[in-house]
Amino acid sequence: MSDMNTVKISDKEELEIKTEQAKLFERSMFAAKSHLSYGTVEEYLKMLRKMRELEKQGEIEVFHVTDEFEPVTVKTLSGREKKIPTIELWQHKSCGQCGHIPGYVTALYWIMSNLGIPYVDDTNQTSCTAWNYYGSGTSNPVALTAVFLRNMHVAWEKNAYPLIHCGTSYGDYKEVRFLLVMNRDIREKVRAILKKIDRDVVVPEELVHYSEWLHVMRDKIAERRKYDVSGVTVAVHAACHTYKLMPEDYTYSEDILDGIRPAPTTSVALALGAKVADYRNWYDCCGFGFRHILTEREISRSFAYFRKVQPIVKETKADVIITHDTGCVTTLDKSQVVPLAHGYKETIPVLSDSQFAALAMGAHPFIVCQLHWHIADWRNLLNKMGIDWERYKQDYKRYIEEIKKGLRKPDFIKPPSRRLPPRKNS
Amino acid sequence: MRTENPVLIIGGGPAGLRAAVDLSEMGIEVILVEKRNELGGAPVRWKYKTLAPMMRPTEEVMNPLIEHVEKSELVKVYKNSIVEEAKGNAGNFVIRIKNGLDNRVESLNVSAIIVATGFEHFDARIDPRYGYGKNPNVIGIHELEAMLKSGRVVKHDGQPPERIAFIFCVGSRDRATNPWCCTVCCGVSIKQAIELKEILPDSQIYMIYMDVRTFGLWEKLYWKSMEEYGINYIRGRVSEIYYTGEKLLVKGEDTLVRGPFEVLFDMVVLAVGMEPGQGTKQVAKALDLAINEFGFLEPKHPNIHHDSSKEGIFLAGACVAPMSVEEAIAEGSAAAMQVVKLLHRLAKPIEAR
Amino acid sequence: MSKKSKKKGAFIIEREYIDDQRIIEPEHLKLEEVDMSGRWGVLVLPRTIEEFNHSLYEEIKNHPRGRNIHKCWQCGNCTAACPVAEENPLFNPRYFIHIVKMGYKLELEKFKDYIYLCGSCGRCSEVCPKGVDPSGVMEAIGTVLRRYKL
Repeated sequence: MSDMNTVKISDKEELEIKTEQAKLFERSMFAAKSHLSYGTVEEYLKMLRKMRELEKQGEIEVFHVTDEFEPVTVKTLSGREKKIPTIELWQHKSCGQCGHIPGYVTALYWIMSNLGIPYVDDTNQTSCTAWNYYGSGTSNPVALTAVFLRNMHVAWEKNAYPLIHCGTSYGDYKEVRFLLVMNRDIREKVRAILKKIDRDVVVPEELVHYSEWLHVMRDKIAERRKYDVSGVTVAVHAACHTYKLMPEDYTYSEDILDGIRPAPTTSVALALGAKVADYRNWYDCCGFGFRHILTEREISRSFAYFRKVQPIVKETKADVIITHDTGCVTTLDKSQVVPLAHGYKETIPVLSDSQFAALAMGAHPFIVCQLHWHIADWRNLLNKMGIDWERYKQDYKRYIEEIKKGLRKPDFIKPPSRRLPPRKNS
Repeated sequence: MRTENPVLIIGGGPAGLRAAVDLSEMGIEVILVEKRNELGGAPVRWKYKTLAPMMRPTEEVMNPLIEHVEKSELVKVYKNSIVEEAKGNAGNFVIRIKNGLDNRVESLNVSAIIVATGFEHFDARIDPRYGYGKNPNVIGIHELEAMLKSGRVVKHDGQPPERIAFIFCVGSRDRATNPWCCTVCCGVSIKQAIELKEILPDSQIYMIYMDVRTFGLWEKLYWKSMEEYGINYIRGRVSEIYYTGEKLLVKGEDTLVRGPFEVLFDMVVLAVGMEPGQGTKQVAKALDLAINEFGFLEPKHPNIHHDSSKEGIFLAGACVAPMSVEEAIAEGSAAAMQVVKLLHRLAKPIEAR
Repeated sequence: MSKKSKKKGAFIIEREYIDDQRIIEPEHLKLEEVDMSGRWGVLVLPRTIEEFNHSLYEEIKNHPRGRNIHKCWQCGNCTAACPVAEENPLFNPRYFIHIVKMGYKLELEKFKDYIYLCGSCGRCSEVCPKGVDPSGVMEAIGTVLRRYKL
C-alpha cells in the first residue's frame, strides 16, 4: 500500500524488507498474536531448549517422535515446526468423550482401522484429572504432573506415541510439561512419587492432539470419501483448551483461514469438500468452561445457545457445527433442548471432526458414529450428505434385536495386534 | 553570510521544507534530498484535506513552502534520492547522494546536516484484531483523509456509510505493537469526524477512545464535535472487528457502564499511530545517529529536540518523536537556527585570521 | 431489585451478578412429555449491548431543560457534587445521562425508578464544566420516561 513512491535503496537489508513486505507481515502477525496471548514464544522455545538440556544431562528421558512413527511436520502459532506422529499411536482417551458422545472415539478408531493405522487402545490409562483442576481449582501442579508423567510412561513402555483425544488433557499436559521442565522443585517431587509406582520421568517431545492427527491425515481421509459433502456448510468451533492453553504450540497454517485461526478441523472439512462458514463468536467458549457446567448449568446452556448456536444458525445457515473436544460437542448439543422447549427455533447438529470424517467415509451412522446419542436433529445433515439414514436405522434396529436375542455379539473395532515389541523399563 | 559548503537537509516534509525556506531566505545554500518523487511529506503524500485544529486547507500551509523551495536559486532539490553516507565533521561533511531511479551517485561537501525524515503511519495489518487489509470498509485515518479531500466517502460497494466508528490508539499505547502515544490521532480523528458529518449529515459517528488527548487549542475540536455535530463518544478499546459479509461487527466494552458491546457498523476508521519510517532507519544507519528504544532518532538532550548525538547534525520533526504538522514546522525553523549558529561560530576564526 | 424478583433464579450460585430481567424461569414448560418447569428450564439472556439507540436521547434534547445533554463528556463532576449520590449508590446523574444517550435498555429498566430521587438542589448544574445542567436533564429524563410509561 505504501510502496508506490518509495525508491530502491542500496542497503540490501532495507530493500529486502520492502519487497518482501507480505512475508514480513505474516511473521509480525504471528509474533503479535502470540504476544497477545498469555505466554510468549520466547519462553516457550526456551522451555523446549531446556528440555533437551535436561535430556543431555540425563535428568529426564525425552520420548522423541522418531521416524518409526512416520511423522508429518506442521507449523505452530509460534512459527516452530512440530512433528505429528501418524502411526503406532497410544490412544489417550477422554473421560467425557466415552460417557457423553461415544461415537466420537469409535469414529476415530474406525478411521484409523480403515486407513490401516496401527494403534494401541490401552486399558491402563488414567484420567488426567484436569477437569478437577480447571473446574474447581482442586488438585495441584505436582499431582497433575505426576498423572501426566504416569500416562506418558505407560505409552513409552508400550512404544506407542500418545495421541490425546481430550482438549482439556492436551491443554493441561502442555501446561504441566512447561512447569515440569522449568521447575526443579516439581521435578524432584514428581520423581519421588513416580518411584513409588516404579516409573520414571519420560517427557514427550511433542504433545499431540488428535485433531492435529486428523489435520495431517486429511488428504488420505479425503481419498476414501464415499459421500459428496460439497453441499454441506460447516461451522467450526475450536476448543479453548486446545488452542488457548499454551497457544504457541497448536497447529496453524497460512493457507487455512489466513493463519489467523487454528488450522485443524477446518482443514479436514475443507479437504472433504465441505464449505466452511465463519461466524461472529468464533472465539467464544462453547459455554462449558469457567466452571459453569459443574455449578451453573443455567448460564452454561444459555451461553451455549445464545452466544454460539443461535448466531451460527442465524448468520451462516450452516448444516452442522464441527468441533474437536468432548466438552464442546456435549455442551453445544445438549444445551439446545431447553431453548427449543421455550420455543426458540434455531437448532443445528453438533459432531466431532472424527464423526464427520467417518460419516463422509461411509461409516455406519449408528453402530460407528452413534448419532442416536445426539440431541439436535441430524437428519437434514445426513440427507444433504446423501446418507440413507432410514436404511441404516432399520439395520441398527435389527442389529440391536439380534444382540438382545443372543444371535450375535456387539461389533468391536479392535486395534491390530502389536507389531512393535514393548520397550524394556530402564 | 555566505559559506563555501551548502547545508544538507534530508527529508522534504513540513520540517525539512521550513528549514530550507528559512536558510535560503538568510542567503544560505541548501541541498534538499527527498526519497520520494514529490515534496511535501506526509500531508501531500496522503492527501491531507485540512490541518487541525483550525481546519485550514493543507495547501495553505504546504504550497508556499513547496513553491519557495522549488523556485529558490539557493535550494537544490534531489528527488527520488537518499543520502547513502556522510563522513567528516561539522563544517565539512562529505556526503554521497544516490538516485534511486538511475542509481547515479554524487559526492558533495556540506557544512551541516538537518535530518527531517518524518514518520510512517502504523501498518494496521500487523495487529490482526482489526482485520485491516482483509475486511472491507476498515480504513486508516490517512486513507479517509484522501477520501474527504475528494469529497466522496463511500464503502467498497459505492454506497455512503450510515454508521461509522473511529477507533483510537490503533498501533499506539499497546505492548504488542507500539507503546507510545502518537499525540495527534485523537485530534485528527475528531477533525475528520466533523468533516464526515459535513459530507454525510445523516450519518451516525462513534468515537471509541481510551482517552481523548486533544492538547492545547486542539481541545476546541473535541468540544465542537460533541456540541455542534452530535458525535458520540464511547470509552473503551476494541477487541475484534468481524466482517459479517455485509457489515462490520465491532466488539468492545463501554467501560462507563461496564457493558460489553457488539454493534454493527458500515465503516470503521482506524486512528493509526505514527512510527519511525524506513527513511529514518536508513538515515540513522548512514549517518551513524543514535536511536532510542522506540526507533526514533535520539536527541543529545531529551528536552531539546534539535541537537542530534553528533555535532553539526541537527534533527527536526517527527523523526524525533510523534508530532503535529505545526510542531514539525516550528522544529524545522529551530533546526535552521542551530545551523546558522554553527556556521557563524565556524566562520569567526577565519575572519580573525 | 424488589424482594419478589430476587426469588427468581435464587438457586443460581452466582445469582448476584445477573440482572433480574435477564432470567427466564418458566412456571410450566414441557418438551415431549419431559417436564422442565422451574429450575430445569431456566435460561439466562445475554447482557451484550447489540444496539445504540438514541431515540429517547433525541426527545430529551427537545425538552427545554434537557437541551444541553449532548454536551456531557462523562467527567462525573455532577455525581461528585450530588448530595443524593452521596447517600444512594444507585443514584448517579452521570451514569443516567450516558445510558439514556446510548439507549441501553437493560440498564434503563434497572434504574428507571431512581431517576426521580433527584432533589433538584442544582449543585450539579453549578459545578458542571460544560454547562449540561444535569439537574434539568434529570427532570427531562423523568418526563420522557413517564411519557413512555417506563
